[in-house]
Amino acid sequence: MTTSKFVRQGFPLWLLAVLLTACTTTTVDEFRQGETGIESHEAIVILGRRQGSTYETREEFVNCVGERVSRGSGAIRVIPEKEFVDSLFPWFEPRTAPLRTSDLQALMEEQVVADKIEEYGVRYIVWVDGQTETTNRTGSISCAVGPGGGGCFGFGSWEDDANFDARVWDVSSFANVGTISTDATGQSYVPAVVVPIPLIARVEANACSSLATQLQQFVNGD
Amino acid sequence: MFAVTGNRKTSGTRSWRALLLVGVLALLSACGASSLVVEGSYPTPAVRKIPLSLGLYLSEDLRNFLYIEYTETGAEEYRVSSGQTHVQMFSTLLPAMFEQVQVLESMDAAPGAGVDAVFAPSIEEFQLALPQKTRLDSYEVWVKYNMRLLGPDGAYIADWVLTSYGKTSMEGLLSVEGGINEATVSALRDLASNFALSFGAVPEVRDWLASRQNVVSNQ
Repeated sequence: MTTSKFVRQGFPLWLLAVLLTACTTTTVDEFRQGETGIESHEAIVILGRRQGSTYETREEFVNCVGERVSRGSGAIRVIPEKEFVDSLFPWFEPRTAPLRTSDLQALMEEQVVADKIEEYGVRYIVWVDGQTETTNRTGSISCAVGPGGGGCFGFGSWEDDANFDARVWDVSSFANVGTISTDATGQSYVPAVVVPIPLIARVEANACSSLATQLQQFVNGD
Repeated sequence: MFAVTGNRKTSGTRSWRALLLVGVLALLSACGASSLVVEGSYPTPAVRKIPLSLGLYLSEDLRNFLYIEYTETGAEEYRVSSGQTHVQMFSTLLPAMFEQVQVLESMDAAPGAGVDAVFAPSIEEFQLALPQKTRLDSYEVWVKYNMRLLGPDGAYIADWVLTSYGKTSMEGLLSVEGGINEATVSALRDLASNFALSFGAVPEVRDWLASRQNVVSNQ
């Protein structure tokens, strides 16, 4: 595609996509407690914490982080969460999963568990815990349809706050080697003058991207 | 002319009757309970096998277990059949836990089956929580089981209660039936994990397993 063609065809769509995306602020914190590094034959598994009664870490978020960690220049082999949990059933279920590194050490004394983890080549277990909350919903939009057509009028907005932690356990030393936290907030708007135009803040997607980038660097020991 | 008018009247009346019939049928179908047969798959547990032969007796009540959810006015709303998925779950779980498992058609078949014990579970209670009633954003299922372990002659070995809980978020689900299905499968998975890890810790079972090991080591 030539530059003029891009400006005529691709650029307006790109500009529209940018304009339709509301702003998001993302903060990432890293707390390192031990040395890290990973060999090419080793892998990590990213698991969601689901012990809480009020919320469960969404599987889609965990998959998003795993997918991003496994690509790019510092790509790391990631065992899919469902495959790992099914293969090690019933040891990593919400009711039975290890909550502390000492629980993992005790779990590894079960030969079947140790064999499976070795078979997968798992060096680090990453526990992702968090959720996205929607607050401050304001405004209203009214829509009407008549014989001459229809339309909407009004304004709506809300705030999303995605807060996730990733704790990294080293399987070889049964130690918590660090924690990465990400907090992404963003305000979404829907102004409606005849047609509603959603300006959505991609809060969870940004939280996933930031967490994955930092986690990849952390595990690689960069 | 007269005859033509009469024909028109008959034809019009038929159309109205047909329309009325369709309307009544539509209303009746809207009022009827929605039936659901729970379907799911369960992973094979990665646990050490107990070197014993177990007879598995799943009663008619368990194999055909049906839970009916009623509306506030007492009308049937959902008919949830989970018997077959229970059969599937126990058939996956127990062969991974025991050296040998034999499915028994009746308790009378146990003495001649050459098994060390017979396991006979039953469902005592099944509860369903729907988002439209709880105002929460998830489907929840809670099941209470009575687990019985008997000798081949029907003698008591152990009898204990296990509860299981399953939950699934409304997000991404296209139907209420889908939500009930996923929450039920999740509850059965919870039961399977809890059973696999707690079986040997039930005091009567632990004593029985110890006594069996003594018998085996003395032989």
